[in-house]
Amino acid sequence: MRNLLRVLAVTALSVPALIGLAGVAQAQDKFKLGMAVGGNTCCEWMKAQGDVARALAEKNGWDYVELSNNNDPATALKNAQIFVQEGVDAVIQFNGQAASNPAISAVMKQANIPIVTYDIADPGMYFVGIDNLAAGIAGGEGLGKIIKEKWACNPDLVVSAEGAGAGIVNEWRTGGMRTGLKNICPDIPDAKYVSFESQGDAAVGLPAARDLLAAHPEAKNIAVVGLNDGGVLALINAAEQLGRADGVIGWGQDGAFITGDNVNPHLAGSVFYFLEGYAVYAIKDVIGPIAAGNVPPLKADAGDPASKVQPCPVTAEQAKAVPDMNERVKQLLAAPAGTAEYDLFCPNKG
Amino acid sequence: MTTVAADTTALPPAPHNPWRDVLTGSVASITFTFIAVVAVGWFWVGPKFLSFGNISIMGTFLIVPLIVGAFSGPALLSGVVDLSIGSMVGFSSALFALLISLGWDPASAAAVTLVACLCFGGINAIAIVGFGAEPIAATLGMLVALRGIAWVLLGSQGAIFAFNIDMFNLVSMTIFGLPLFFLLAILLTAIAAVIVTKTRMGRHVQAVGGDDRAAARAGISVKKVRVAALLLSAFGAGLGGIVFAGQLGSAARATGVGLEFQVYAALMIGGYSILRGGVGNPVGGALGLLAVAGVSNILDLKAISPYYVNIIVGLLLLAAVLLDRLRGGDAYE
Repeated sequence: MRNLLRVLAVTALSVPALIGLAGVAQAQDKFKLGMAVGGNTCCEWMKAQGDVARALAEKNGWDYVELSNNNDPATALKNAQIFVQEGVDAVIQFNGQAASNPAISAVMKQANIPIVTYDIADPGMYFVGIDNLAAGIAGGEGLGKIIKEKWACNPDLVVSAEGAGAGIVNEWRTGGMRTGLKNICPDIPDAKYVSFESQGDAAVGLPAARDLLAAHPEAKNIAVVGLNDGGVLALINAAEQLGRADGVIGWGQDGAFITGDNVNPHLAGSVFYFLEGYAVYAIKDVIGPIAAGNVPPLKADAGDPASKVQPCPVTAEQAKAVPDMNERVKQLLAAPAGTAEYDLFCPNKG
Repeated sequence: MTTVAADTTALPPAPHNPWRDVLTGSVASITFTFIAVVAVGWFWVGPKFLSFGNISIMGTFLIVPLIVGAFSGPALLSGVVDLSIGSMVGFSSALFALLISLGWDPASAAAVTLVACLCFGGINAIAIVGFGAEPIAATLGMLVALRGIAWVLLGSQGAIFAFNIDMFNLVSMTIFGLPLFFLLAILLTAIAAVIVTKTRMGRHVQAVGGDDRAAARAGISVKKVRVAALLLSAFGAGLGGIVFAGQLGSAARATGVGLEFQVYAALMIGGYSILRGGVGNPVGGALGLLAVAGVSNILDLKAISPYYVNIIVGLLLLAAVLLDRLRGGDAYE
């Protein structure tokens, strides 16, 4: 106990001495942008969102601080506090664990720092994101056209790869895909619609997808919709493992797995959001005006966003003409300010 | 069969040397590690690293791990590891947030939540102490079960928003520039350290963890000690979950996920042993958490990928084990 007290005494004496020497960071004249990336290892685009924001901030001559939310609500809150400490003028975040958004909002409001949130709305944050319902319906209609042509609108099963954790976003996207499919094939009976919890991740959702297929051994022609490409791939991969993939046709959302050399042949299409390029929208409609001293009115509702990202539905064939993410980022950063990836790459511009 | 004779040529115990005690005591490794982290932060990040604002940020992040660590330490000391603490935090935050969202007042919701956690801690105790189940297996089962219960409570949205500005302000309250709850968690750790090292109760816990048969022969009720330790562990995790819900204004599926590894890694860096009872000190555990948080903070402030934190925590863990061996392992106990 004595040595314990000694150690504590040494620590207690040394820490305040060091604190006493602590100075206050010099005031920054330049506009400083904070960016909290999602930090989920599932998806390359989360890191790319930070890379694009950093490049655009540098182009604008701003200082830039990037932190990762590590897909953890407590870390996201800690990052908000660090942004306040670092004296940022505005923050952009993608917070996949949106449950901590109210606390983050409170911290930012107290410090009078405006914050932009991608894709998951919060009443205290500028919403920049996709029109999820429109994206869902467009994807469902794309799949419906293929189902109509190949199976005369008579699949054995329509599987929804849900991601309940995404809340209303899941309802808009996955439910929207079912609505879009029904727009094209209205006579598919409700009994054929089944769901599994994919959690939006091909690997995580795999066991549940296998169980679903095992529960429907007679189903051969299976249409798959879902929250995102990863969730849809969970069902496709499970069918491949069970030797039942021949009759599976999936259509995803977000476009994460529809480009590159290894696109799954059963993924018939997806809806590009060009997630990595969201900073273009955020900077054009929110951060840029704030930096110029014209703070725009807070638009926090996903239905009336501060900046709306256009969905871009594509078949797998059309997606071949779209470069992979790294190339897209390169071309995006070389394009004139304010140009979005939708303008550059979408083959089906509405 | 080999017979080992007593070594009659062994040297007599070295005279008491306070500096050697510092080098070889149970919190020696972590104290040096902690000082090294502070020094690296000071020289690399600059004075900002030790500013009240930055310590406050680290402190806020550490409130829950410190509370959970202080309460789960006695279980480790008594020789039973409780792997369910992370899930218990998740369950507790989910139940508390659910009750708040149903209009309960925070005090009643907290009381019901803590009683529920104690019930699950009791099930752990019955399995481990009553039926002699392996602690790792039993609490692993509880980890999975509690995660499932939390998911059921959280519903299809996977989250319950229960933001209450009064609770948030209470948990965020500062005194002398530092978060009140962080200071309370440090005080809790200090009290736990005093109980463990200075009281008969603490010595009983260590004795049970060190050698339960010898402890039983000495008249200590091994069962009572372990039951109490497991209940304390569940209570601490329950408390942590409530604070989490207050801090974040919500509960979600991710709440508490991996917390058991965060806490136990820090406790091991701080001198505890997961598989060997009777070793460790709450102060060492707290310093372990502070050291890991310091490393993470340095990487944040230097804009280095947080993925490196895991590598550094792993290396710290290996270094702690190595230092433990170099110091003679159990010899200092």
